[in-house]
This record gives sequence, C-alpha cells and structure tokens, in this order.
Amino acid sequence: MRDETIDEATVIAWIDGELDAGRAAEVGAAVAADPALSGLAEAHRLMKARFAAAFDPIAEAPVVVPMAAPAPVIPIAQARAAREARRKATDKTAAKPRNWFVPGAIAASIFAAFLFIQPIAMPGESGGGINDKATALALSAPIAKALDRQLSGKVGAVRVALSFRSKSGQYCRSFTATHLAGIACREADGWQLRYAGEADNAGGDYRQAGDDAVQSEVVAAMIAGEPLDAAQEAMARDGGWK
Amino acid sequence: MDDFESALADLIPRLRRFAHGLARDPADADDLTQQTAERALKSRGSWTAGTNFNAWAYRIMRNLWIDTTRSRQRQAQIFAPEADGEPIGAAGDAENKVELGYLMRAMDRLPDEQREAVALVMIEGLSYAEAADVLDVPAGTLTSRLVRGRQALMQMLGQNNA
Repeated sequence: MRDETIDEATVIAWIDGELDAGRAAEVGAAVAADPALSGLAEAHRLMKARFAAAFDPIAEAPVVVPMAAPAPVIPIAQARAAREARRKATDKTAAKPRNWFVPGAIAASIFAAFLFIQPIAMPGESGGGINDKATALALSAPIAKALDRQLSGKVGAVRVALSFRSKSGQYCRSFTATHLAGIACREADGWQLRYAGEADNAGGDYRQAGDDAVQSEVVAAMIAGEPLDAAQEAMARDGGWK
Repeated sequence: MDDFESALADLIPRLRRFAHGLARDPADADDLTQQTAERALKSRGSWTAGTNFNAWAYRIMRNLWIDTTRSRQRQAQIFAPEADGEPIGAAGDAENKVELGYLMRAMDRLPDEQREAVALVMIEGLSYAEAADVLDVPAGTLTSRLVRGRQALMQMLGQNNA
C-alpha cells in the first residue's frame, strides 16, 4: 500500500540521507513494500550514481592552484645570460677543473630528478615505477590531455609555463602538475617526458623542487629559436602540436 | 601556503567538479575554476575565519557563473545526445568524456536555479542546509528546485522507469 505522505521529494531526501533516523526507517519500509516507490527510488539512485561516475573523476584529477604568485615563466633570457657569463669565464680561466663541475652537477640533478618520478604509473602497469619499455616516458592521460589542451598560464590538471619548438622539431612544453614537474615533448604517439623533477607547489610558486635553473638550462639546450608566444601556442595547440 | 591558501587548494578539485555541473562544456568549466580561484584569492579579506570556507568559495563560483551567463548571449543549444563531438584525450577515458558531455548538456537544459541546486547536492554532495546557505535561499525553496531539477533530468535521460 502506498503511503500517501511519501512523495518524490521525500524519496529523494531519503536517498540523499537527509531524513532523520526514524523517518528514514519509515520511508525505507514503505519503499520496500511499494513497487512504485521502490522503482522511483531505484531510478533516482541510479541517476545519482550515473552523475557520480561521470563527475567524480574530475574531483580526483590533479589540479595545480594559482596562488598569489603569477604563473612562472622560466627565465630563458636569464639562463642564457648566465650561460653566456659562464662561457666567458671559462674562456678566461681556461681548463680549470671547476668548469666541469657545472655541467656535471646539472647531469647529476637530472639523474636525481628522474628518481622522483616513479609515482606516475604507466597505463596497464600495476607495479608503478619507471620501467624499461618503449612507453617508459609516455605521460599518462590526465597530464597528456592537459598538455594537449591547456594554454600557458591557465589552471587545470597541470600548469604549463612555456611552450617551444625543440631543435629536433617537436613541440615541447614545460609544466608543473601536482607531484611531477618537467618538460615533455609531443612525439607522434603522445607526450614524452624529457626532463622531470618533483613539483614544489608549496609557497605558491609552482616550481619544480630544487633548482629551477636546471630546468631552464635544459630548455635552453633544447629550444630552437624563441619560446612560442600566445598566438603561436594557440595555433600549435589547434594543430594538434604537429 | 598559509591556511587560507591550503583550504582553497584542497577545495579546487571539488570546485572544478562543481564548475562542470554549472558550465556547458569542460573548457568553460576550467575557465570558471580559474576565475573562481583568482577571485577567491583577491577577495580573501571578505572571508571571515571560522565561517564555512567551502560555502564561501562555492558562492563565489556560483556568482561568477551567473555573471558570465548573464553577460553573454547564450546560443541556443540543441540537445543532441547522439551527435556528441570527438572526445579529447586518451582512448581509455573517451567513454567517460562522452558520458560527461552528455550529462553536462542535460544539466545545461535546466533552468539556472534548478541546475545550481542539483549541482550542489547531487553532484557535490552538499547537505540541503549547506546548499541553501550557498544559494541564500530557504530550505523549502532549495528542496523544490532540487526535486524539479532531478525530475526534469530523469525525463531527459530516459531513466523514468518509476
């Protein structure tokens, strides 16, 4: 028998957990006893579950938050100037051992940085960690998608600081996600990590943990010409980064 | 990050989900999320410590969205479930993208006041009292908008097997 005091709003409130225990028990019993009410409750529960399945992944995706500081732009000009200065110093002081320590330190940093990236699990891999397969450096879907779509300085799954053409002709982008920061280049089969470190989102500066200057050096070594401006970047994105 | 920034950072993923409940497409939703984060940081002085931070931030997003929809001529959207565009991204989540787009367009067809009620309660999981607080309406008003919105959605989505 249908309880006339139980309307659709009540059924919905029951599903939403908005009723006190006594009323919830009453409604639960009435729903169980009445096929029409139980059909209605089931339909609402299914719809709620359907929305949860579609929308909840959004709230689980990594997002980088813009805080007080504006989006970082890797200071290529500064990096170049620093490199230039070092080169001059090197020329002057000839073959001092110290000159080897600078690139050596950078190489060590890059190596160390790669050790941080194991949390990104590759699709179909349960164990996690970087493997020795051809796909080892392929970025997973959330980051790859963000790199496909997001323009520099916009918030989303990742924050992209800079886009540029590499000397080997691919488009590359420097980015910071929740845990991972680095440089990725668009190969035919997707975004491949070229340099990586641990993201440091503390302090609101969204930079890579440790020394940003290292990443700047890497960009400076990879880049052909100048970084893309906003119009070039938008055009590259619309062209699928090809 | 200070407490305010941490609270905002923690809430951003949920704000982004709420934005997808309000906006017509994911690009608009991400723009809205960014605007909300910026506005929240700019107007942090208007938040009183000890009050409900989440409600305050949801309210900012909701008000920004209303401003956006008012300030632009919304083009008539034809509800075309089968004609969904190309999903962007990896093949693995293409299906979910299509589904999300479909549900977002269904939400888009609701009157604004029903959409925001449904987004806050059914998608965001806020209690009726919290949602009424965000929207600054009496509980009864919230409930009736929520129920009408869900009835309309159910009809659109063909789940009316009651």
